[in-house]
Amino acid sequence: MPIIVNLDVMMAKRKISSGELAEKIGISPANLSILKTGKAKAIRFSTMEKICKALDCQPGDILEYKPDQE
Amino acid sequence: MWSSEKSIILSKLSVLFFMGLLLAAVVMAPWLTRWFVDFSQAGLKVEEAVYFMGTIYVGAVPAAYLLYSLLKLLARIETGQVFTAENVELLRRISWSCFAGAGVALISLFYYYPWFFMAVAAAFMGLIVRVVKNVVAQAVELKNEADYTV
Repeated sequence: MPIIVNLDVMMAKRKISSGELAEKIGISPANLSILKTGKAKAIRFSTMEKICKALDCQPGDILEYKPDQE
Repeated sequence: MWSSEKSIILSKLSVLFFMGLLLAAVVMAPWLTRWFVDFSQAGLKVEEAVYFMGTIYVGAVPAAYLLYSLLKLLARIETGQVFTAENVELLRRISWSCFAGAGVALISLFYYYPWFFMAVAAAFMGLIVRVVKNVVAQAVELKNEADYTV
């Protein structure tokens, strides 16, 4: 998947734990783990908005596009 | 009150009933075929009963596998596992069992032409199950996407 989720990097920068972030944005820790490990197939705008609000960042700080190496 | 649980139980009982019928057909094949040849209007010879027995025994293998797969599928649906890759695989096996049965009936045409109708019916059923399998496979993909949407 060429879309990389840099949520853990942003969380480390903001010094926030997974449990704390999950509680702040109102999703289950299991779903947050799916997002952090890059297993997610899609992310809702509403979830992205809550993450950006909680981490005080832009969507581009969380998601990154890296083309597959052929 | 009728419910989906009761519906599944009815389906399971039906499959078990057909399993019983299949077992009875296999056990009673020598008598059934002899009786059929004796009373048939098609002018069959007594020796031809052996061919009918062969068709019944060979055809019983895909039929038994189909019924077993159906029972397994119903057990999975009962536990709430509906749109899964395992169920798609089971439907694929059920479909191929129908085609195998159609194949057996087609081969049996050499001694009794009416097997053609059985072959067409089995192949048609296999086709329907195959289309259902394709639909369920798409549903599995959609479910996976929904499950992994955060």
